[in-house]
Amino acid sequence: MSAASTAKVKPSERPKWVETILTQFRINIQTYTLILATIAIWAYFYNETDGLFLDPRNFSNLFRQMTTTAFLSVGMVLVIVTGNIDLSVGKLAGFVSVVVAYFQSNYLTDYFGDNELLVASLSVLIGLAVGLGYGIIQGYIIAYLGVTAFIVTLGSMWLLNGAILLVTEGKTIPANQPMFSKISQGYMSSEVGWILGGLTIVVLFFTMFRGRQKKRQYNFDLPSLGTDLAKVIGLSVLVLVYIYRVNEYRGFQNPVLLLIIVALIVTYMSNNTRFGRYAYAIGGNREAAKLSGININRNIFLIFVLMGLLCGVSGVTLASRVGYGTISAGDGYELDAIAACILGGTSTLGGVGTVFGTMIGALIMASLTNGLQITNVEPAYVYVLKGIVLVVAVFVDVYLTRKR
Amino acid sequence: MNTDTTDYILEFENVTKRFPGVVALQDVSFKVRRGEIHGLCGENGAGKSTLMKILSGVYPSNSYEGTVWYEGKELRLEGGSIRQATNQGIATVYQELTLIPTMTVGENIHLGKEPVEVYGINWDRLYADTRELLTQYNLDIQPQDILQNLGVGKQQMTEIAKALSENAQVLILDEPTSALSEAEIDKLMDILDNLRDHGVTCFYITHKLEEFFRIADTITVLRDGQVITSQPTESLSVERLVSYMVGREMTERFPSSKHVPGEVIFEVEDLYAREPTGSREVLHGVTLDVRRGEILGIAGLMGSGRTELVMTIFGEYGKITSGSVRLHGKELHLKNSRQAMLAGISLIPEDRKRHGLVLMQSVLKNISLPNLDQFAGFMRIDSDAELAASLEFANSLSIKAPNLNVPVDSLSGGNQQKVVISKWLMSKPEVLILDDPTRGVDVGAKYEIYKLMNDLAEQGMAIIMISSELEEVLGMSDRVMVMCEGRSTETLDIKEATEERIMALATNVATENGVTETV
Ligand SMILES: Nc1ncnc2c1ncn2[C@@H]1O[C@H](COP(=O)(O)OP(=O)(O)OP(=O)(O)O)[C@@H](O)[C@H]1O
Ligand SMILES: [Mg+2]
Repeated sequence: MSAASTAKVKPSERPKWVETILTQFRINIQTYTLILATIAIWAYFYNETDGLFLDPRNFSNLFRQMTTTAFLSVGMVLVIVTGNIDLSVGKLAGFVSVVVAYFQSNYLTDYFGDNELLVASLSVLIGLAVGLGYGIIQGYIIAYLGVTAFIVTLGSMWLLNGAILLVTEGKTIPANQPMFSKISQGYMSSEVGWILGGLTIVVLFFTMFRGRQKKRQYNFDLPSLGTDLAKVIGLSVLVLVYIYRVNEYRGFQNPVLLLIIVALIVTYMSNNTRFGRYAYAIGGNREAAKLSGININRNIFLIFVLMGLLCGVSGVTLASRVGYGTISAGDGYELDAIAACILGGTSTLGGVGTVFGTMIGALIMASLTNGLQITNVEPAYVYVLKGIVLVVAVFVDVYLTRKR
Repeated sequence: MNTDTTDYILEFENVTKRFPGVVALQDVSFKVRRGEIHGLCGENGAGKSTLMKILSGVYPSNSYEGTVWYEGKELRLEGGSIRQATNQGIATVYQELTLIPTMTVGENIHLGKEPVEVYGINWDRLYADTRELLTQYNLDIQPQDILQNLGVGKQQMTEIAKALSENAQVLILDEPTSALSEAEIDKLMDILDNLRDHGVTCFYITHKLEEFFRIADTITVLRDGQVITSQPTESLSVERLVSYMVGREMTERFPSSKHVPGEVIFEVEDLYAREPTGSREVLHGVTLDVRRGEILGIAGLMGSGRTELVMTIFGEYGKITSGSVRLHGKELHLKNSRQAMLAGISLIPEDRKRHGLVLMQSVLKNISLPNLDQFAGFMRIDSDAELAASLEFANSLSIKAPNLNVPVDSLSGGNQQKVVISKWLMSKPEVLILDDPTRGVDVGAKYEIYKLMNDLAEQGMAIIMISSELEEVLGMSDRVMVMCEGRSTETLDIKEATEERIMALATNVATENGVTETV
């Protein structure tokens, strides 16, 4: 690279560390605005509820509640990144939850009632299979039959709503087998929590140093060691505070661990596999991707299959968390999932978006719902506020990007 | 400001523009006379487009250091909107056309400033005004033509007319000819001459150096963001200009080649094809063959079906109705680019922004995109191997970027082109098709690309090169196939190929009446 011919940037008059912080902020403006927004929302509810919002019990529940839609957003990022949309995810997750409840209370407990593990695993498998199967059908129609995702998933939304009514016959079906309930209602002992926290921190430091090594080797922009250290130490502190807080209640929540694992897998896939890379390329420039020999149909098919599978995961955790399947299961989750992606910086035009950002987006949506619930705001206003927050947040983002 | 009596309309004074990690312009100072055509010349990434973006307000006044004096006053433009510049009489003719294809010429020209009466738009006035404007500047287009039915050349005229309708005093043309045919270029030159007579000052950027000598009054050379020289065209020669640009003597434009063509490996026989949607036939009888270790040039006018031909071969454009495509004597039925690549055929597409690049992504990701199979297992991309391989290509084509991690849209046009080339070379094809590979590439880098093509041919690759520059076709090919109106006319050996011969075949006329208008 003939970097030699591009002259060095003249140092400015501000002290170096101020400059560093400002540059960092400018580069990652989106992430930082998100984090600041989360802090602001938390501070507001903390104040409104005299601390109740962040007390160990609510803190723990907040994250637990977030998981159900967060699973959906993890898949939704990739769907939106490829320039598509999936409106059916809420109802599909809901459908999965009622099917799981239906089988559990009508067959599984009757046949294998004495084998807890078998009942729980079969419940999970059925849930995942339903999600996956539906994803395959839907993906096939979108990718290979060429009906736009918007239409297909809109149709699915109605279809699945009907299916939910058929399965439940308008009644509530219990899904409260004890072992199955552990999935979303279980906690890990505090020791396990600390060990997980410790491991995370080790991994954070390790990846930072490996990343730096690589950046140096290939002459990529290398942030100063101080900046990177500050970031990693900041994250580590967050991890420790989090674990301390949840241990004050009952311990690290099972569904949160599950979410972290799923989010990590999808993050890895989006950066380090062809499947993920192609998704971003397709969203970024479909024609260039096509001429690059990418099988666009197959990629989009797989994205919707993955989305279906994640709906399965979401539906299973939903059934496990609430303990029953009901006609309103999954109502409006698709909108929360889409909003989380958009808040997290996913571009509706495709090509841009990260799982990490989306997770913060999901946390913001969950914080709003939860906070408004415990402040006893009328449900009507919950909707009003969510709507306003979404539009304002995107406006701020647009404004800041334009400013740059 | 000035003590001499010359009438300067613009003066750049110590203009410096920085991007993160790059100084795109450094202490740029020069003057521009009123009514002249001012050529801006320099290698890819020299800063030409950046300077023009400062003038047109894409980069607002507070984003750079130094001063631009316009009509004796300091030019202040804010907010990254080009509207302000247009209002002050500085208009830009964009290379990527910014017109609306479904509207008429008149509608496009008046977009945003339609003559409105109480009852709505006064169409009669709109078209009358348009006609007046078009005749005033001798532009050969009809106000009511729908834009998408016009050739690139006429679309560009519309773009120019639109700029002029704003009473432009200064007109910026950044690589206006890179998508034009020879005939269209002649036409553009006439238009520019005419504008000079009307007292309009033009900035003219191109990588086809001859054009400067045809049209420019003064040439300013930029190198690495600095002004190397600014002098009247008469006092310069192509050789001098090149050495100013690249900072050393360049004795030859085309590297010498010693190709030893082997057996024929790729053939197209009597190919007929229709456009993908609709039933218009775009190819009516194309025959060509290319041998191992040979460069076959394809010449022809814009619209002669060259791009359609290669895209059809590649499985990405038309429906083949008859004829055959054979590789190693075996007939191919390619349905898409993936199959073509697997068969060993690569195509470097013509339109880099539309077909070549994912602009928001990094140089690295763009280069490796079609080649991930080389680095990827089922669940993993070996990112070290990916980086190493991409870096090798980036270096061998001397792509000018701070590093491989920057997004391609922050690269200069020519460097973007090099990224496209790297991307396709990495797949090590047997047959390489290049559709106008040096469009927007500077002389130095062109030379590098030519060398690379020669190397590849020597290693036994069969190369098909489409080019709109006759000089390039003649300088690089072993044989030249000439296309005219969707047909292949004749394939000439390089020894018997001359500009006149090619032009005659391309325009399908006996040479007596020269070049026909095909715009
Ligand atoms: N938005 C941007 N962000 C960062 N760097 C940029 C940006 N735009 C241009 N540059 C850099 O500024 C330098 C000058 O670019 P510019 O586009 O002006 O070159 P150019 O002379 O027009 O080249 P070409 O002939 O290839 O079009 C290049 O090094 C380029 O990478
Ligand atoms: Mg340029």
